[in-house]
Amino acid sequence: MTEAVPPDLRTSAPRIASLRLATGEGIALRIVVAVILSLVSSAALVALSGHNPLAAFVALAKGAAGSPHQIGVALNRATPYLLAGSGVAFCFRAGVINIGAEGQIAVGGLGAAAVALHWPHFAPWLVVPASLIGAALFGALWSGIAAAIHLGRRVHEVLVTLLLNFVGLLLVQEALAGPLGQFGAGFLQSPLMPRGAWLWKLPGLDAHIGFIFALVAAAALSVTLWRTPFGFAIRVAGRSRHAAAYAGFSISRLTWAAMLLSGALAGLAGGVEVLGIHHRLIEGFSLGFGFKAVTVALLGAVEPLAVAPAALFVGLLEAGSLSMQRQIGVPSALVVVIEGLTMLFILAATVRRA
Amino acid sequence: MTALLEMRGIVRTFGAVRANDGVDLTLDGGEILGLLGENGSGKSTLMKVLFGLVAPDAGSIVLRGQPLVGHRPAGAMARGVAMIHQHFMLVDAMTVVENVMLGWPEAGRILRRREMAKRVREESLRYGLGLDPDALIADLPLGRRQRVEILKAVLRDAELLILDEPTSNLAPSEVAELLSILRRLRAEGKGIVFITHKLPEVLEVCDRVVVLRLGRVAGRARVGDVTRADLATMMVGRDVTTPHAPRIAPQGAIRLSVDRLAGRSLGPLSFEIRAGEVLGVAGVDGNGQLELVETLAGLRPASEGSIRLDGHELTRLAVAERVGAGLAYMPADRGQTALVKSMSVAENLMLRDSRRSPFASGAFLSSASIAREANALMRAYDIRAPAPETSAARLSGGNQQKIVVARELDRKPAALVAHQPAWGLDPGATRFVIDQTLALREAGAAILYVSSELEEVLDISDRIAVMADGRFLGIRPRAEADLAEIGLWMSGRAA
Repeated sequence: MTEAVPPDLRTSAPRIASLRLATGEGIALRIVVAVILSLVSSAALVALSGHNPLAAFVALAKGAAGSPHQIGVALNRATPYLLAGSGVAFCFRAGVINIGAEGQIAVGGLGAAAVALHWPHFAPWLVVPASLIGAALFGALWSGIAAAIHLGRRVHEVLVTLLLNFVGLLLVQEALAGPLGQFGAGFLQSPLMPRGAWLWKLPGLDAHIGFIFALVAAAALSVTLWRTPFGFAIRVAGRSRHAAAYAGFSISRLTWAAMLLSGALAGLAGGVEVLGIHHRLIEGFSLGFGFKAVTVALLGAVEPLAVAPAALFVGLLEAGSLSMQRQIGVPSALVVVIEGLTMLFILAATVRRA
Repeated sequence: MTALLEMRGIVRTFGAVRANDGVDLTLDGGEILGLLGENGSGKSTLMKVLFGLVAPDAGSIVLRGQPLVGHRPAGAMARGVAMIHQHFMLVDAMTVVENVMLGWPEAGRILRRREMAKRVREESLRYGLGLDPDALIADLPLGRRQRVEILKAVLRDAELLILDEPTSNLAPSEVAELLSILRRLRAEGKGIVFITHKLPEVLEVCDRVVVLRLGRVAGRARVGDVTRADLATMMVGRDVTTPHAPRIAPQGAIRLSVDRLAGRSLGPLSFEIRAGEVLGVAGVDGNGQLELVETLAGLRPASEGSIRLDGHELTRLAVAERVGAGLAYMPADRGQTALVKSMSVAENLMLRDSRRSPFASGAFLSSASIAREANALMRAYDIRAPAPETSAARLSGGNQQKIVVARELDRKPAALVAHQPAWGLDPGATRFVIDQTLALREAGAAILYVSSELEEVLDISDRIAVMADGRFLGIRPRAEADLAEIGLWMSGRAA
């Protein structure tokens, strides 16, 4: 009999999906401050390691965008993050915390390699689409298993998707140790794919066409989310399960849809990486991609289209810091620290709980 | 001899609502005072003022001759006041003695667990609490958990215990045990305020009773001097005994027909509502009202029985199909169910119709139609928002409810299920909701109006049912409704 509490007030667990971009006048200033803070702290770390921070930053900038080749490297880096990250963002919007991109990417790479190596005589115009479809299907299969366990046995989706990551990585290893492996390579990898299965290059850049696919996918997800009844249902479900049920939406159907979509996109990310970069399946080819995709999704304010600049930013940062490592000799561990710090500052500045 | 507690002229307003309007209350040691009243009558506010959870706007509190001013709960506890909430403040994963030691200075910086366990055992024996210090809270039934709260109070030397609806979650045998514990506490000289709306318990254990209604004292009595009927009449008030405008019972066709409907904590119950008729459901919250409305709306499965609207079987239909069949539903839970507060007014207006025209055309949403529709509804239903894009959270409660009214009623439904639709609204918005509901009635819809506010139900209904334990205790035409009888039914017993 407490007058201050509405009747039948039902609380629902806070969900990460309610993260959103802080809007308003303060946002630009906060980003500037975050960038300055990350520059200052990075400079301090570089100086501590005995190198000249200014030279390091010059190397970083040149490495990120100093030449068409370097821009191509950055785009290639950004591609899997954008594909998987926009799918993760879509899932988060539905209130489904899918952190299984890591495994879905790996299994997707396996799917692409399996198709490309199993039908080596396919014409080039057929083998690339077929391999990419294989990648998407494998990724969706992997997230579908997670969805089935989550919905069927009521296991929390974070747990299921997280644990399936390890299984997915082991599955790739197993395939490389067996049917897909290159005998005598001394390393777990598949044979090289036929030339026809290599992903097409963008003219004038050292980048494959994957980034275009990723942009199209992110745009399509964004339109789905904001311009279709299905997207509306996804957004309602992400905000309030009770309201979604009241509106007549089936939570389990929406969860299935979001999981399969994001799994397919993560699988595609793995396929693009295999067909576009390595031209073979290599153990650990996507290590850490899936977790970075989650970061990128948050950096992009869980808005699929806004994930594009976020993924590009991370791609540029990575390409730049690799060259900083090569040219100045900044230790690689420090490069990872700087990358992480920068993302942390930007996240702290832009994302807030709704 | 000074009284244990004297509260004089307590006033507390929340916005336009005077939750307490000059309430006086006294209590002696060794006395159990029943504090009676309907939902929203001001009982809880009064006790929150005493315990320091809410500051009074005016009035004084004197505890054993010493004024109690500007205190917080910690201060009240230090002065020997303990409050036992309806929802227990215990850590389930800890044992009884661990919960007793939580936040208690006497437990020491280094916990004297064995000594504390011994004291728990002693006090438990003294008051007949039957508690094992090492039992895990999670393993205890609700009645036992409540006794842990009582134990915490007596170990902290509380002289005055406030029990807020202590029997609402208890089984009948546990209620009997609680009442005997209260008698022991009284024998030890403790003063007890027993907040309830259940008349039999008041008559059984209390010495005196104070009845609150609309924030004022509606009556005081020694328990030996009053009957249950007297108390029921005091509780629901006299000024509503005459119907406003007795309507001739509608003789339209039966539209909504519910036959032996049952589910978890529900039914079986049956009723029919004719075209242009309002069936009001009164009763204390938590007696199956939520289960009833959600089962009708399709949010909960029915285990048995049938729901028919204009002859069509709805019982197994999904929510969206029921909406399509003409069933509107206004949930009590505005914040989490009826609205998505972080979404815009326009999006909330299309919440249940997003797949239909004019909102959707083909595979896409039509933003032009959505805006046009939202503007039209905002005008027609006087929803005061800066723009259709404004997030619903920024609107007042009244305007939020107008969104729900606009969405559900503009569809011209065949039947409406309204659950606490005027809850927490100011008088103007309440009037608006009631008027819109009545307009829908005039248009020939069948309406089920569920509310724990008895006056609201009396005001709007053609027939009245009282719900207790998931069933209807009886259905009476409004003109024949006997308030004393309804009061008795609400207190949980068939007359």
